Amino acid sequence: MASTRDTAQRLIRSLPRVALHNIKSVQPKTRKKVRRSFAKGKTHGRGHKGQGQHMTLPRLGFEGGNTPFYLMIPKEPYYQNHHLRRQYPPLTMLSLQRFIDLGRVDTSIPIDLTQLCNTGLFNVNIDRKHFGVNLTEEGADIFAAKINLEVQWTTELVIAAVERNGGTVTTRYYDPKSLRALIDPLHFFKRSTAIPRCRLPPQDALEYYSSASNRGYLAKEEDIEVERQRLAQKYGYVLPDLHADPGSTMLKMRKDPGQLFYGLEPGWVVNLKDRLVLKPKSPEHLEFYAS
Amino acid sequence: MQRMTSVCRRLSSQVWSSLTMQTIAPNLSAFAASSSTTCKSTDAAEPKEEAQTTQQFSGHIPVEELEFSYSRSSGPGGQNVNKVSTKVEVRFHVPSASWIPQDIKSKLIELEHNRVTKEGYLVLTSDKTRKQMLNQADVMDKLRSIVFKAAAKPRGLTDQEIQLRDKRLAKSKEETLREKRQRSMKKQSRGSPSVGSV
Repeated sequence: MASTRDTAQRLIRSLPRVALHNIKSVQPKTRKKVRRSFAKGKTHGRGHKGQGQHMTLPRLGFEGGNTPFYLMIPKEPYYQNHHLRRQYPPLTMLSLQRFIDLGRVDTSIPIDLTQLCNTGLFNVNIDRKHFGVNLTEEGADIFAAKINLEVQWTTELVIAAVERNGGTVTTRYYDPKSLRALIDPLHFFKRSTAIPRCRLPPQDALEYYSSASNRGYLAKEEDIEVERQRLAQKYGYVLPDLHADPGSTMLKMRKDPGQLFYGLEPGWVVNLKDRLVLKPKSPEHLEFYAS
Repeated sequence: MQRMTSVCRRLSSQVWSSLTMQTIAPNLSAFAASSSTTCKSTDAAEPKEEAQTTQQFSGHIPVEELEFSYSRSSGPGGQNVNKVSTKVEVRFHVPSASWIPQDIKSKLIELEHNRVTKEGYLVLTSDKTRKQMLNQADVMDKLRSIVFKAAAKPRGLTDQEIQLRDKRLAKSKEETLREKRQRSMKKQSRGSPSVGSV
């Protein structure tokens, strides 16, 4: 464990020399503002007579006697804590097949949330507590595309439908900050900030994303292989051999749990204007972004 | 952690960040480095690599040896039920099936005689749900349970059970004899007393 002295010495060694451009004065004590407006004399913004001037106005929400709005509307327990719950806007397998058929989504590269948002037909709104895409079962019977798919939520039937056609599915969690970058990468790169390291899922989601039956990105690969066999037996299809497939390199591509974009690591800064990618070199940065 | 030169992780390769379940939750047995794979499957499916003994049915059904056919389901449902082929039928020739042990084939045909054709094909259908895939799963489930039922051996009695049974039989026999004796005494006492008896 580093002592305070060691930390201080390290800081002194690594930080730049103190100069006028990198020091800040201590904030002065702010005095309490006394309201002394010349224009607001006589009634002092209160009007004439009545409750307003006499400081006898009723409580906030009172409507003169009739049942106020906040008591009129009944409580509905179904929306309890709705503002804290994660939402995954649905996308049917039918829609996905349609996107593929119409060329809106490229099947030769891994399909993740960015590809789906780039179609312009699927929107994820972080302010509405959206955490990604939920691929639903409608259209599972007619699904016929071989893809490397990455979604945020899905069910067993969907997984079976994708794997039956020789594809792979992974469920992956993105925290809101990373999700914002993923939804609109161009907007994110224009800001030229470092690519964030993806955070782990919250406790209630950890079980889902570490389970092989959900093809979670934190699950073990051997367990996933066992689950693939189990699902093939359950739904009665011959499991296509991924290793024998010529397109298997693309199908086996997976992002690291901390990685946001394929081909880019956290900590890198993309400079679109000069068409450069800047990478950190200091060991502290590298350790932080790899942790 | 080894840093990879190519910046996307391929399956079965080292993860470069420390975000693996082994580092997050090392105490969980499922993610211990030395533990073998856990598969709590109730469908009794085992990897193809495991050898199928001819003596026992392991639960694994080779899907390539089954013939599936799809047709329209019955029942209400409007345009959807009229147009979509959601009914699943599976058939296979029982005597030539390599995945069923020989000794249970006759038992299987006997148990499911109403589902076996003259040629020896076992035919199962399902139009339980709206989805073809779910119906196919249902049909696989039916098939698996049929084969398991045919393979089930009658349970023999244990030594304890035999002992208990014999003990109870002996006791009931003793009781019967006791009643016979009592009845006999009763009948004898009804007769008029003879000279020499008390």
